[in-house]
Amino acid sequence: MIIENIILAAQELATFKTLLLMSVGTIAGLIAGAIPGFTIAMAVVLTLPFTFGMPPAQGLATMIGVFVGGLSGGLMSGILIGIPGTPSSVATTFDGFPMARKGKPGLALGLGVWASFFGGTISAVLLVTLAPQLARIGLEFQPWDYFALIIFALTIAASLAGANLIKGLIAAALGLLIATIGEDSVNGIARFNFGSDSLKQGFDFLPVLIGLFAFSQLLSDIQDRVRARDKLTETSGVNARIEHRKAAVMVLKSWVNLVRSALIGVFTGILPAAGSTISNILAYDQAKKASKNPQEFGTGCADGIIAPESANNATAGGALITMMALGIPGDIVTAVMLGALLIHDVIPSPSFINDSPVLAYAIFIAFFVANFLMLFLQSGALKLFVLITKVRMYVLASIILAYCGIGIFALNNVAFDMWTLFWFGILGYVMRNLGFPLAPMILGVVLGRIAELWLSRATAITTDITPFFTHPWSLFFIILALFSMFFSSYQTQRGRKAWTIFYTPALIAFLSIPMFMMVGTVRPMLGGVLLVIAVIMVFRSYKRGWKVDPTDADDHRLTEG
Amino acid sequence: MSRLNRDTIIALLLMVTWIVFLWASFDIRQIDYGTMGAEVWPRGIVILLIVLTAIYLFQGLRAGADEAPDEPFTIKGWFTKYRNPLWCYALYFLFLLSLPVFGMLIGGILLVFCLLTVLGGHTPRDLAIHAAIALISITGMWAIFTFALGVILPQGMIFTTL
Repeated sequence: MIIENIILAAQELATFKTLLLMSVGTIAGLIAGAIPGFTIAMAVVLTLPFTFGMPPAQGLATMIGVFVGGLSGGLMSGILIGIPGTPSSVATTFDGFPMARKGKPGLALGLGVWASFFGGTISAVLLVTLAPQLARIGLEFQPWDYFALIIFALTIAASLAGANLIKGLIAAALGLLIATIGEDSVNGIARFNFGSDSLKQGFDFLPVLIGLFAFSQLLSDIQDRVRARDKLTETSGVNARIEHRKAAVMVLKSWVNLVRSALIGVFTGILPAAGSTISNILAYDQAKKASKNPQEFGTGCADGIIAPESANNATAGGALITMMALGIPGDIVTAVMLGALLIHDVIPSPSFINDSPVLAYAIFIAFFVANFLMLFLQSGALKLFVLITKVRMYVLASIILAYCGIGIFALNNVAFDMWTLFWFGILGYVMRNLGFPLAPMILGVVLGRIAELWLSRATAITTDITPFFTHPWSLFFIILALFSMFFSSYQTQRGRKAWTIFYTPALIAFLSIPMFMMVGTVRPMLGGVLLVIAVIMVFRSYKRGWKVDPTDADDHRLTEG
Repeated sequence: MSRLNRDTIIALLLMVTWIVFLWASFDIRQIDYGTMGAEVWPRGIVILLIVLTAIYLFQGLRAGADEAPDEPFTIKGWFTKYRNPLWCYALYFLFLLSLPVFGMLIGGILLVFCLLTVLGGHTPRDLAIHAAIALISITGMWAIFTFALGVILPQGMIFTTL
């Protein structure tokens, strides 16, 4: 059955048109990822209107091409000019740029490209193997569990989005509120339409998303009059030739770092709202801590390029696992993909892989293929990148602003969507300038209706709220949500305040409770293991005299903007 | 007043907005079927927003007044700082308003040309380049959406008359 599905999915993708679209998507992603100020999410968002008319597998394959390309594109500018193209490549710059300045730009690029490729491939393997397993767990979920999972996704997004948790939570709740405007999906009752017939239909989530994210981003990019007229980047004199062979050998020799970083990437991606912005820094830190020569990091060390690049590409697989198995977007990119699936009347949920196996396997295969395409197209994209960076920011922004309007009109063929784009473009820009993070708000808009649906189903079964605490998975996610709300403070005060010593052991100990409540023997045993780990951690702190470790305070702060 | 800072003002504005929404939530039609009314979820969110904004307001009040800016606030200075985004919004607004008249093709070309000119300068050379960029980019996009993707974009009164 699986082989039959794989063959059918491969047949859908193995057309000249699909492969061409994937190649174009990968190149577009590589270029967009390489341009500082243009994020991967924006590239995927802008690709979306082109995919409306395509079959689902073809459209998603194109978007996956952009996604994978974007994750690798950031390394080009990071290594060659010292400015990361995307936040996913921040850590790559720490060692990539020094190596390039030492006269080895080709090797630095090669290490980045091959680490990206292997990291992506490892995560593709995990995607194929883990997604169906996680979906099986997801099938156990009841409405309370789903609702709690969504709440966790929103709280972690708010917590990771910036220094002020309250602003993040307000943004997430505002996203939920926006999703309530219009007729409710359960009873068909109009809400918050203030007498307007247009508002009765509610806002389509894609114009909201493009307005909040892409439109406001473009206006932020051109806010400064002088910078708006500058070329995208100064890349004069860049003439690097990627050293594929030497780099591939070096990456494979550093296989422990490669695999560890890929695993960090995948598991960061699986977490709702945590993405490649976090994983590349986490992997870099771990590589440095595990290295025999940590003092070499920051001076052009190969491991310092391999770790972040392997991790950021692997994150894509992790984010896709959550989206496909649970129907919860891991980040903005997968939120857009979820939107693309909804346009084609495909609703991702734990039964998605069983209900739409051909499409699910097409996504798996497309992710594999995109990694190969990225590897082959990177050299060509490098030349194109040098050309495109000569364009001035205001030219690109003006064209994209117009394109946003045309693309959004194509969604439903109604001008109201363009007005939605416009108003949410203003809202997004104002929120950016006032320091409100947009990621939690976007997740709120995407997850709002789903959350209401699950809550409605839960209350239809019983109006009692105790199932939220008596269902193991629901309790599991509620504990995670509560702890995630303190994560921002934990990051700020780690290594300085005594309470931070107890944060991780307390989280692990509390998580063991729902594990003990689960049926079977394996999960309660895992709960026991968690409890033992928590006790060991507390005991170690006790042995140190409850003293905080000041070196923890030097670690990078993790934010997913 | 000396304790007012930007966060406090934003929190107050948000609070007013949420109160309007809370008020509007009482206009949502009550249903006598189902266990969860259509007003429950949005009202719950609005109440959550009020609580969060109250905390935000408290944070703002506790933080005290903002540090004095390097330059005193003036309306002209504000317009100068946000000149580019304001132009973009104004032109986009006009583009949307005039869409039924100009349609997507002519309106889009005009939008891009005007955006390029206000953002990038208006020397005769600039104008020529901007006109070429606007014409090529929008016609190209229009052609892709119309012919390749089969989307019927608004033609506008001028286009149909021609």
